[in-house]
Amino acid sequence: MCEESRSTAIVTMPEIVTIDEIRDEAPEVKTFYASFVDREVGERFRLRSGQFIMCTVFGAGEFAVSLPPSPEHDRLHITVRRVGKVTNALHALGPGDKLGVRGPFGNGFPFEEIKGKNVVYVAGGIGLIPLRSSIVHVLQHRREFGRILLLYGARTSADLLYRRDIDAWRKTDGFEPHLTIDKGEPGWGGEVGFVNKLIEKANVPVENTVAFVCGPPVMFNSTIAELLRRGMSEDHIVSTLERQMKCGIGKCQHCAIGRTLVCTDGPVYTYRQIKTLGEVI
Amino acid sequence: MYLLTTEDLATLATELGRSHDLYGPLRRPAGGQVFFDRVRGWGEIDLAAPIPSMPPKEILFPQFERILRYRYDRKTKEVAIEKRYFERPKVLFGVRACDLAGIQCLDRFLLGQEFVDDVYLAHRRKSLIIANTCVEPFPQCFCVCTHTGPSAEEGYDLNLTLLPNGGGIHAAEVGSDAGRALAERFGWEKATEADRARKNAVVERSISLFPELARDNKAWVSRLMNRVTTGFIKPEIWEYIGKQCFECGACSFVCPSCSCFNIEDAPLRSGECERLRTRDSCSFEGYTRMAGDHNPRKPVEDRRNKRFFCKMSFSQSKKYLRPGCVGCGRCAWVCPGDIGLPNVVQYVRRETTEQVTRV
Repeated sequence: MCEESRSTAIVTMPEIVTIDEIRDEAPEVKTFYASFVDREVGERFRLRSGQFIMCTVFGAGEFAVSLPPSPEHDRLHITVRRVGKVTNALHALGPGDKLGVRGPFGNGFPFEEIKGKNVVYVAGGIGLIPLRSSIVHVLQHRREFGRILLLYGARTSADLLYRRDIDAWRKTDGFEPHLTIDKGEPGWGGEVGFVNKLIEKANVPVENTVAFVCGPPVMFNSTIAELLRRGMSEDHIVSTLERQMKCGIGKCQHCAIGRTLVCTDGPVYTYRQIKTLGEVI
Repeated sequence: MYLLTTEDLATLATELGRSHDLYGPLRRPAGGQVFFDRVRGWGEIDLAAPIPSMPPKEILFPQFERILRYRYDRKTKEVAIEKRYFERPKVLFGVRACDLAGIQCLDRFLLGQEFVDDVYLAHRRKSLIIANTCVEPFPQCFCVCTHTGPSAEEGYDLNLTLLPNGGGIHAAEVGSDAGRALAERFGWEKATEADRARKNAVVERSISLFPELARDNKAWVSRLMNRVTTGFIKPEIWEYIGKQCFECGACSFVCPSCSCFNIEDAPLRSGECERLRTRDSCSFEGYTRMAGDHNPRKPVEDRRNKRFFCKMSFSQSKKYLRPGCVGCGRCAWVCPGDIGLPNVVQYVRRETTEQVTRV
């Protein structure tokens, strides 16, 4: 019988972090910057872009949340929309409050396989949160990739996340951001309409290209349909799935889709994989 | 193999009871219902009792279990957090072969994948299992179809079989180092080849006593596996099954191999909080519902489909190293909608037969 977990992740007993700073990103969305109370734990905490953690809000419970770019070059932080019981409790916290962290869990984005390709990010609303760490990684390794496009849509201009980051990324040579909002607003000079309409306008390449897609189900399905219509391969469309999760370590089975568990086999899948899982997105 | 008299069994249970918590099948005085529960001593253990209402999974993977306790003071921002597992050593005395197969499914799933479940490991690490052969089947049993009985073949420390006309003599097979150590410690009489033949005859006789339906369905269980894995079962069958489902979750709670759980943080009056792990069931509508009310699985037939996929698909079997169904028949026993696994086999079988005859 096996005596201990083969992974170095924090499995059962959460490690404590202190919230250092909280930033408002959009209505109902905040970013929480935090650092490990035990510095050694923080140094051991290595993550791959695309992984997630289970975050404990003491007294309320635990939720799965996608991770930022590796804390080696950034502080540990999570961006969370206020939706349910636990995230509401999280939004009520302030600097100095403690959180629990288990993880990191999941497979992460496939950067080795996509070297030399054009990279297209298509995000809707808070779908940009899990993709952000991938964007940061790709921009940091700019020379390994071709064109880098970001197609990002939200309901209103206030709902567009990481506007400061996007402006900073613009400085990277060859980064092409395209932003859109659902309905026109006074003072908005950018695109209006759903994000899948940007695919045509931005002249998204399909040859030697990989697309990362994340967003609400309606946006996801229309985007995939458009990319496939333009001839993109199902193997080159990558997404990160969201499911109810309780354990993060492949035991509670809440995130089971067909034969896979999103927490250990995912959360990153190609569209070809997603299609064969046999469950609605 | 050894031969144990009733006195030997009594001594074994009593001696183990000094160092371990002793669990075994006992009949409740009122109503006679059988439970696998904590016993005060050998006198309460009834090895002849029918299979218990709840599998002994209950002891290794309880319905409710505290895994952490913490206190968070929002004024001082101090967190005190501690592990709280149940780690006492235990003996499961008289586990039926099907239930042992269920425990093996849990072992392989909870301990044998990428991550190890610490909480289950804490239970399992210090547990001894003494299996008990079913010398005759009980009405709902179909372990002959799932290859899990009537006598255990692996996973036990000791495996007992009551020999006929022997005045209560049990044959005891040793299945682990811990079992061997017990044999050496108590110096039981060694069995002969003739005794082994007698044990095998008991098992053969038991198999012959299974109802015709159970033996007849043997090939159909593997047929169901094939159909579930390849997705060749018509959606109408799942709809039919879904319409009969009450969404009560009983099938998952009584299943020896079901291990889905939920985690809840429950505040105590003292201001502390306990992290509880409770069993969960894929029958429930809220099982996959996320914050914001998005639910990827909605219709009940979709959820029924997932349960049988989990029990019977090849991909899940790779995690258990066997099919998830162990043939105990408890789901058929408790299901108010009459869609226990044996009936699902029947529905799929009926559909397939109709298809074949139509061609």
